[in-house]
Amino acid sequence: MKRIIYPTDEGGVAVIVPSAEYLANHTIEELAAKDVPAGKAYQIIDEADVPSDRTFRNAWEYAE
Amino acid sequence: MSHVKTDKLSARTASGTITLGESGETFALGSGATVDSGFTPAAISINASASSGALAIDASDNLQFDSGYGSTATAYGCRAWVNFNGTGTVAIRESANVSSITDHATGDYTINFSTAMPDANYVTVGTTGFDPITFDSTGGPLLAIETFSTGSVRIATGYTYSVGYFAANDWSQNCVGIIR
Repeated sequence: MKRIIYPTDEGGVAVIVPSAEYLANHTIEELAAKDVPAGKAYQIIDEADVPSDRTFRNAWEYAE
Repeated sequence: MSHVKTDKLSARTASGTITLGESGETFALGSGATVDSGFTPAAISINASASSGALAIDASDNLQFDSGYGSTATAYGCRAWVNFNGTGTVAIRESANVSSITDHATGDYTINFSTAMPDANYVTVGTTGFDPITFDSTGGPLLAIETFSTGSVRIATGYTYSVGYFAANDWSQNCVGIIR
């Protein structure tokens, strides 16, 4: 499954986790248009590209 | 028992009303009979076997039922819910009317609704925790509300320690429901 990431105002990165029920009737791009804050740059990435080790979660940064 | 067969009953005037029976009388559909989709009563009551119907829709479109409550009363719905794992690879186990969750940081999530609430005055209920932790007299897992909006609710998860202190934490079990 895909993930959507965008930079937070605090300098970190937010990760949007889609629900299966929503993706059953919408595209990931439509989800990004709805749930990414207006004006924010974002990327659609593979779930595997999000670290599963959350020990330093608050230190994650958004990379262009 | 008399039996009338006809294809259509019409009121005498274009906007007239046909009234069937009187108060206290019962009308039954024959076994296997169906009601056409164009049937749009202003109110409906089903299985009025006791003093009130077991299931009803009143004239204000309120769904009402008894189901052990003691009387037929308006039911208020859970408009969205989600069960998600906040550890490792964050993932939604199951949900309804939730388009996604946004993972902002440790113990900091937004639940985004597929269909927005009519206002931000809804109730959020939730539980969190489950991972092996040490409980003592100072507290335990906590799920708190950060912000309400019509399209989403932001929550914080963590645990309390000492008196008056909160530490953000990711838990494997996070269950949130929205009632409105």
